Amino acid sequence: MSKIAHYLRAINAENMKEWRIEWKYKPDFIRQFLEPFVYLFPYFLYGYALLGGRYSSHLKSITGVDDMVAYTFIGYLIMGFLNTACWAMGSSLRKEQWYGTLEAIFVAPVPRWVYVAGMALHSTCHQGLIMVFQAFLITTVFALVFKTTGIFLVLLIVVLMLMGLYGLGIMVAGFTIGMKQWWVISEALSTLITVVTPIAYPLAVLPIFLQKAALFLPTTYGIIGVRHFLLGEKLAISLPLIIFRLIVILVVWLTVGFALFIFMDRYGRKKGILSLY
Amino acid sequence: MPADIVVDALYKFFKKGRPGEVRAVDGVSFQIEKGELFGLLGPNGAGKTTLIKCISTLLIPDAGSIRVAGFDVNKDPLKVRQQIGVLTGGERSLYWKLTPIENLRYFAALYGVPRNQVKERIDYLLSLMELKDKAHTRVEKLSSGMKQKLSIARVLVHNPPILLVDEPTIGLDPYFAQFVRNFIKHELNQRLGKTILLTTHYMDEADALCDRVAFMNQGRIDALDTPTRLKRSIIKKEILEIKCLGELQKEEFPALENLLSLNITRLDGFTYIRMGTDNPERLLSRVIDFIQHRVKVYSVQVTSPSLEDVFVYLTGASLRQGGDDA
Repeated sequence: MSKIAHYLRAINAENMKEWRIEWKYKPDFIRQFLEPFVYLFPYFLYGYALLGGRYSSHLKSITGVDDMVAYTFIGYLIMGFLNTACWAMGSSLRKEQWYGTLEAIFVAPVPRWVYVAGMALHSTCHQGLIMVFQAFLITTVFALVFKTTGIFLVLLIVVLMLMGLYGLGIMVAGFTIGMKQWWVISEALSTLITVVTPIAYPLAVLPIFLQKAALFLPTTYGIIGVRHFLLGEKLAISLPLIIFRLIVILVVWLTVGFALFIFMDRYGRKKGILSLY
Repeated sequence: MPADIVVDALYKFFKKGRPGEVRAVDGVSFQIEKGELFGLLGPNGAGKTTLIKCISTLLIPDAGSIRVAGFDVNKDPLKVRQQIGVLTGGERSLYWKLTPIENLRYFAALYGVPRNQVKERIDYLLSLMELKDKAHTRVEKLSSGMKQKLSIARVLVHNPPILLVDEPTIGLDPYFAQFVRNFIKHELNQRLGKTILLTTHYMDEADALCDRVAFMNQGRIDALDTPTRLKRSIIKKEILEIKCLGELQKEEFPALENLLSLNITRLDGFTYIRMGTDNPERLLSRVIDFIQHRVKVYSVQVTSPSLEDVFVYLTGASLRQGGDDA
């Protein structure tokens, strides 16, 4: 069997194993589908309170979209993938440690990033499923209508954004090897990215320095690109530039993420850190 | 025929150059021949587990080299891992929420077992470990012994030629411990021809199983030979064993003439004082003088040295020291 086929099979085995384990905790499995709604509604309620209703002429004047619910929902949906990177991928190795299986899998003849990649596949599928469920429910309840003409470009943008986020995820996974309290990094990154990314607001309302910071995040381009195609939001950046920057970001983030992961893996094996946690 | 495992001048320190530096492996060298069952013996903290972790690529040594099946652990870690199976004591090397079949399928994929051989291999291993009827039971519902049997099946899923077995019977009841020992010796080593590195602090286990043993203490190997030759090395010595009631510390013992080694252990409420000596009669009177007001003597006997006595004699350490293994 070729090396690549072996690694792909291992990645899928990791994915399937996680599904099987998750399925054994049924109440938690159901909770994961319902919890996103709990976090989503405060956005809506806040919007309703400020606007006095669902539609806003001011929002339309700066974005081209007047429906606050549709506008916020797209941003929120896309940001679900940030959790995939910061938490699901990031915690993948620490989870194995909780199971007690980390050393058993670390002596298998596959590189250690394979386990993180397996978790990336699993959590992307998981998040995708939750998104479909959320999208169905929210579009039905609020009678949302999305444009479907640019659906392939939407998929392209989401895939590019995801690849960039995988770079972030593998970086956080690296931190779990070297740091006992890795979640501090994970929490800080996910909070900062959530604030800077224009989830429920247009990029233009952020202070100038945050607007500049937002341009380094794949989630910014992911959200404005997807909102443009599904809702018709006005683009402040041209589409080719969005795709170009997403490609640059994914190359940089993946490179940095892998480099840090490999460094931390070596550091952990040198210091014997994993046995300590 | 080249050796399967070659460890050369290996060093592994923790907190290197800082206060509390631990010299877990301190200049260790040895070779294990193909098909050999080699025992690494020592008390907790001797460095056995650290050594196993270095060989299995879980730790990077500070200096020295390790070759496994001809591959360098630093340069070709993936090739080394393909050649080895690592079995540790305790139960947490399996996914408890999954069934034995699900666990074995997962590890078969990690080890790249060809898809068309997976079912046959798993069937064989479950039959071998007498777990066929538990194939679809969650691991969490299996007994400790069954979990250890399944761990053995997991280690064998890719049929590795070399096995690293770290304290395999720890925490098992006598029945399963004996099963595991027999399986290691007769099935894995003698029938399947596996090269096995076994660590243990049970001397009887090493004595019964191993072709050669190395005594490891404070990160160093103090002696290495067959169990028979090691015992013969102190053949002119005898063991004076006093069973008594009451507490007695090794540090309290004075340096007595004819006292060559000393080991004090506690078992079932009794204190056992085992002394290596070239003259048990003379030593006995001196020891009785010393202990008669401290403990109540229950019985006295003179025996031939066991492997544990050889260990105590050669290293000056006891196998039942406390603390976690380094």
